[in-house]
Amino acid sequence: MNDIEAPVGERLSVKDIELEVIRRGRGRPVLLLHGLHTVDPRAPFLDLLGRRAEIIAPSHPGFGHSARPMDFDTVYDLVRLYLDVLEALPYERVSLVGLSFGGWLAAEIAVACSYRIDRLVLVDAFGIKISDRETPDILDVFNTSPQEVERHRWHDPGKWAPDFNALSDDEIVVHARNWDALCLYGWHPYMYNPQLKRWLRRIRRPTLVLWGASDGVVTPSYGRAYSALIPGSRFDVIAEAGHHPEIEQPEAFVERVAAFLEQEG
Amino acid sequence: MEVWYHNENPYPFVPQDVLDRADSVRASLPNKYCDPRVAADLFEETFDEFMLCDECGINVVAIEHHAGINSLFGANPLVLGILARQIRKVRILSMGTLISLRPDPVRVAEEYATADVISRGRLDIGFVKSGASEMASNNANPVTNIERYWEAIDLVTKALTFQEGPFSWEGKHYTHRHVNIWPRPWQQPHPPLWAATGDPETASEVGRRGMVNVLVLRGEEGTRRAWAAYRQARAEAGLPKVMTDHFAYAALVYVGDTHEEGVEIGSKLLWFLNTSLKMAPQYAQFLPGATPPHFAPQVYRPASKPDTQAKGSTGSSRVQAAKADKPVAPAILNVGGLTNIDSAQAMARGILFAGSPDTVYQQVMDFYRKVGGFGHLVMIGRSGFMTHAEAEKGITLFAREVLPRLKEIAPVTPP
Repeated sequence: MNDIEAPVGERLSVKDIELEVIRRGRGRPVLLLHGLHTVDPRAPFLDLLGRRAEIIAPSHPGFGHSARPMDFDTVYDLVRLYLDVLEALPYERVSLVGLSFGGWLAAEIAVACSYRIDRLVLVDAFGIKISDRETPDILDVFNTSPQEVERHRWHDPGKWAPDFNALSDDEIVVHARNWDALCLYGWHPYMYNPQLKRWLRRIRRPTLVLWGASDGVVTPSYGRAYSALIPGSRFDVIAEAGHHPEIEQPEAFVERVAAFLEQEG
Repeated sequence: MEVWYHNENPYPFVPQDVLDRADSVRASLPNKYCDPRVAADLFEETFDEFMLCDECGINVVAIEHHAGINSLFGANPLVLGILARQIRKVRILSMGTLISLRPDPVRVAEEYATADVISRGRLDIGFVKSGASEMASNNANPVTNIERYWEAIDLVTKALTFQEGPFSWEGKHYTHRHVNIWPRPWQQPHPPLWAATGDPETASEVGRRGMVNVLVLRGEEGTRRAWAAYRQARAEAGLPKVMTDHFAYAALVYVGDTHEEGVEIGSKLLWFLNTSLKMAPQYAQFLPGATPPHFAPQVYRPASKPDTQAKGSTGSSRVQAAKADKPVAPAILNVGGLTNIDSAQAMARGILFAGSPDTVYQQVMDFYRKVGGFGHLVMIGRSGFMTHAEAEKGITLFAREVLPRLKEIAPVTPP
């Protein structure tokens, strides 16, 4: 996992950890926590959101070009790292936007420490168990054929599923590192914390739970249930988007997120 | 040289059209295709073959695989328990309980110690790294597999040898506060330990630990590379040289009355390579942790998928390039080079030793010389649609005509 080569791009240092980070835009600060994969710096939603907010989007340790300390292997290492990040950033409060797996992190962080958070946005987030013991809520992306996974991830898989022949070597290495790291952190229990559900009531910041209407990795009904467990939170869906509305519908995504972040009180 | 008989006890009787439609013949093939009455017959035959080996002086190997047509041995300790009592003379190698997939290695140590006692000290313990479809079948995180493998071996070894218990273990992957197995093993300090691996990095650690390194169907180049790593790691650690009895090679082996008969029936063993290895990409090149990220460009691109169609292919050029570039080839690249080969290719590469007693002996010794010698030959003597009668004939002929000649080869310390 620590075979990462020379650092690429900007870094964010927190104590002994150094993370690859994308910084974009100006305005109210937003810590963006990525999901299955690191954020592509060319993704259009970054510039769109950057017109209305300052985005800080690190790659979690082990993902992208961020190294992973050898003893760093649970979701709670990531959660505590981002608690450190929140304390280190030069802002009283930061809004937290968590995508997919990063939504699980964001929910855990908000449960642990609401006072550093301005507003919380969970997008197609993992993290809790809703259905009965024989009904998985979250698609097993590791034990399902890659074609099936892609079919579930996108509203329009033909347009968005990755074509490895078209990716550079570095992009494929990043893809592989993301996959390994996601598995390390999320394998068991698969992508959720059995205890998190009962503590979501501790989240005392304005919260938007946003979902791709066509998400087949984790469905909108799960999102609705998630939202119902967070006091005062709002649930909304984005049409013609799967698990990654920020990629498939960047304008609609940014409009919903920015409008929510700009609300008062 | 010691010889070991290995029959994975495959279940080949799934209709071919079902296998063709399935994306994987392991892990995800529904068990409705496994008729327990047929399976019972196969167990009966396989145990009879092991007992024939006992009569003939050929040691036996019991393996473990999960949820696939390649093997019905999903619970190694159960098989071992039967063998420990029924096999009365030869040695028994467990290869092995898939150690990194079990939540508590202490249980495994106790099972091994029990089998060693029942057999009155005729147990060898083999550790297999696992991988691929085993991870799905056992809910085991593939990314930390190798870490669990070594920690589990450490814990099993201490549980087998520590006699002043209970002791406490608070490791990274296993915690057990009260370890005190009963019985302790018959053999002191513990039964011989084996490890099946072909990757030089793991072979180096196997070397430092002085375990028997068994290479399965790796051919000349892969075998030489692993054993060179084993020896070099020992030299670098200032450890004494080991004799050839620390090296084992597993190949498909069949002896017939004539060379032609041996090759014809022995070719049935290729079913293992050509049918039972079919695995879906999520258990192969896309399995997290299976491919070091720097290899990903070679194995992720569809154009570089191991070529399973072209007869005679030894894998695509990209796979070959990856092998040449980096010293540590992931298992997936080795598998890519094994599927869809015919008997002539398998024999040329030291994967299949088949023919008459004389030609099989020559093939074994040719390979022996090419790789610098080994003290154990594991003969995979039945697979696929080879019949029980054919397997027993092969065992009997091998034992009568080839085994005495191989027994003459004493362990040596290579210069």
